Amino acid sequence: MQFSYFHLMPWTEVTEAGQDWPVANHQFDPVKGTALYNTYLDHMAYAEECGFDWIGCNEHHFSPYGLMSNPNLIAASLIQRTKKIKIAVLGSLVPLLNPVRVAEEFAMLDVISGGRLIAGFMRGIPHEYVAYNIPPSESFGRMLEASELIRKAWSSPQPFGWEGKYYQFRAVSIWPRPVQQPGPRTLMSGSTPESARFAARNHAKLGIVRLTDLESVHQCIAAYKETAEECGWTPQPDDILIGQYTSIAETEAEAKKNLEGGIDYFLNVLNGGIRTAAQLVLQKTRYYPAEAKKAIERTSERVSVLKGMSIQERIDKGLVLCGTPDQVVEQIKQRHRDIGMGVINVVMKVGNVPNDAIRRGMTLFKNHVVEHVRGL
Amino acid sequence: MEFTEHEVRLLQGTVKYHKGGTGLPLLYFHSAGGVRITPPIKALLDKHTIYMPVVPGFDGTKLLNGIDTYQDLAKLFAEFADTVIKAQCDVLGHSFGGRLAIWFASLYPEKTRLLVLEAPSGFRPAGMKDVDPGNADAMLRAMYAHPEKLPPNQKPREMAVENRKMAEHYHKNRNMEEALVGQLPKLRAVTLILRGTKDGRVPDESVLFLKAKIPTSHLIYVYDAAHAIEVDQPERFLTLVGDFLARGQGFLVNAGTGEEPADAELA
Repeated sequence: MQFSYFHLMPWTEVTEAGQDWPVANHQFDPVKGTALYNTYLDHMAYAEECGFDWIGCNEHHFSPYGLMSNPNLIAASLIQRTKKIKIAVLGSLVPLLNPVRVAEEFAMLDVISGGRLIAGFMRGIPHEYVAYNIPPSESFGRMLEASELIRKAWSSPQPFGWEGKYYQFRAVSIWPRPVQQPGPRTLMSGSTPESARFAARNHAKLGIVRLTDLESVHQCIAAYKETAEECGWTPQPDDILIGQYTSIAETEAEAKKNLEGGIDYFLNVLNGGIRTAAQLVLQKTRYYPAEAKKAIERTSERVSVLKGMSIQERIDKGLVLCGTPDQVVEQIKQRHRDIGMGVINVVMKVGNVPNDAIRRGMTLFKNHVVEHVRGL
Repeated sequence: MEFTEHEVRLLQGTVKYHKGGTGLPLLYFHSAGGVRITPPIKALLDKHTIYMPVVPGFDGTKLLNGIDTYQDLAKLFAEFADTVIKAQCDVLGHSFGGRLAIWFASLYPEKTRLLVLEAPSGFRPAGMKDVDPGNADAMLRAMYAHPEKLPPNQKPREMAVENRKMAEHYHKNRNMEEALVGQLPKLRAVTLILRGTKDGRVPDESVLFLKAKIPTSHLIYVYDAAHAIEVDQPERFLTLVGDFLARGQGFLVNAGTGEEPADAELA
C-alpha cells in the first residue's frame, strides 16, 4: 500500500460563507499568506520523513478553496526540499492550458527531480472554465487532444507540428525531455464511470477523490479495469488511488472534533462560491455529456446526503480515516479489503483543521500507522 | 474551378492526366487507390494549376514498356514536367505517390520547388507488418478515421483491385527500400511531411525516420486523421498545405490576422 500526502492549500482566514464567485481577493492578507504557504510547504516536505510515498498538489483558481493556481511552482519547491518521495501534481488542468507548456513544465519537474514526477491530467472543477474563459462543453475534447499532444511532445525524438481541432503548433521540440520515457506516468480523475473509462483509454492511473459511497467507487473501478483490458493493458493496484479525508490524533474525540470542524468549514465556507459557479456551468453547458450528467445528478443527491452525515457515519461508510492510530490502521485495512486500491490519497488539511494538529497527526502516522499497513 | 482530362504523348508512351486551376504549378502524385480529387485539392485550384498524371497501369490505363520501377516513373514524369508544365513546380505525393515524389524530387531537384509528402509509403521498418488487405474492416480503420466523409462515387471494386496490383508492380516490396533511403539526403526542396494521428498504414517510425533524414523538412501530425488525410480532415489539410505552398518555410510563423499595422513598434 502506498500513501500520498495531498494538500489543497486553502486560505482559512475567510469567516463568511460567501456565495459569489469569483471570490473577492481583498480577504487575502499577503503577509499572512507568506507564512501560510511556507507552513504548508513545510508540512508537505515533512511527508517524506513520515513515510508517505507521494506528495500531492493540485490546481484551482479564483477562490480561497486552494492557493495553488500553478501547482508546478509548488512541485518545484518540494523537489528542492525532498530527496526520494514522488512528486504528484494532481493535477494540471489540461483543457485550460497550453499543452506544450504543460509538457515542458512537467518535463522540467521530472528532470530536476530525477524522475520522481507523477503527472496528473485533470479537467478541473467546472467553475474553472469560467476562470480561464474556456467553453466547458469542450472539456473532454480538449483533454483528449491535449493528452495526446503532451505525450507526443515528451516522447518524439524529432521536432514535429500539430494540426488539431483545438491546438495548432507548427513546430514543437521540448527541452528538456523527461527522465521517464516515453513520459512520466499520468493520473486522471475517475469519479464517474465515464471519466474512469477515459483514464483507462489513456493508460493513466485512476484517481477517485470524491467518495460519496463505496458502490459508486466499485462502479468506477470496474469501468476502469474493463476498459483497460479492452485497450490491451492490465491495471495494477498502485494504478488506483482513493482519496480519504484523514484525521489522526491521540484520542478519538480529538480526531473527530478536528475533522468535523474542518469538513464544516470546507463545505459551508470555502465551497460556497464554487458551488454557485459549478451549478451555473453544469446547468448551462455540456461540461458533462448527457449520460454522464445523470450520473452527476445522482452524485449530487448523494452529496446532499453526505453533508448531513456525522463523522462516525462517514467512518462506518469508509469515506474517511479518523481516530487514534490503532483505529486508523484498522480502517485502512478495511478500506483495502473493501476496495483493493494500491494508493490512498491522504488529505489532512481539510478546511480549517489546525495546522499544529495536522503536524501531530503526521507524526502519529509516521510512528504508529505506516509500518502496520505498508505491506497491504 | 474543375479538373479536365488530357493526354500527352511522351517517349515511352501516352500518359493521361487531370489538370485544373490557375496559379503556381503543383504536380500531384496519386496514391495506390488511383486518382481521387478531394475537396481540399479542389480548393487549391484557386491559387494553383494542379497537374495530376495517372501513373501508367492505374485507373484502367495501360502499363508502358520499360516503365517498371519508381526510378522509371520519376524519369517519365520528369519528361512530363518538361513537356506539359514547362516550369519548376511544387510536388505533392500521397502514400504510393509520396514514395514517387521522393524519387522525383531527389533525381530532379531543379524541377522541384517545394515538396509535400502526405503519409508517404516506403519506409516501413523491417519486421513491421502492414494491415492485411484481406481484412476489410481493419483496412478501413487504417485508411479512414471518418469513412462517413468518403464521397459516394468511389471507383468500381475491380478497378480498385487492379490499382493495388499496379502498386505492387512498381514497388515490389512494402518495406524500407535502401536505394530510396540513399536518395533522402539529396532532397533539396523544403519538405512538408504529413501523417494522421490515426494512420494505420504508415507507422510513426516511418515519418520520424524521414524527418531525421531529409535535410530541410517539417513533420506535422494531423489530429484525428488516418491514412487518407484529405478525406478525414480536409480543412486541416488545406490550412497546412495551402499555407506551406504559399509561404514555404515561412509557414512556421503565425501570420496573425493581418490587422496589425506593418510598422507597429515592438516593446
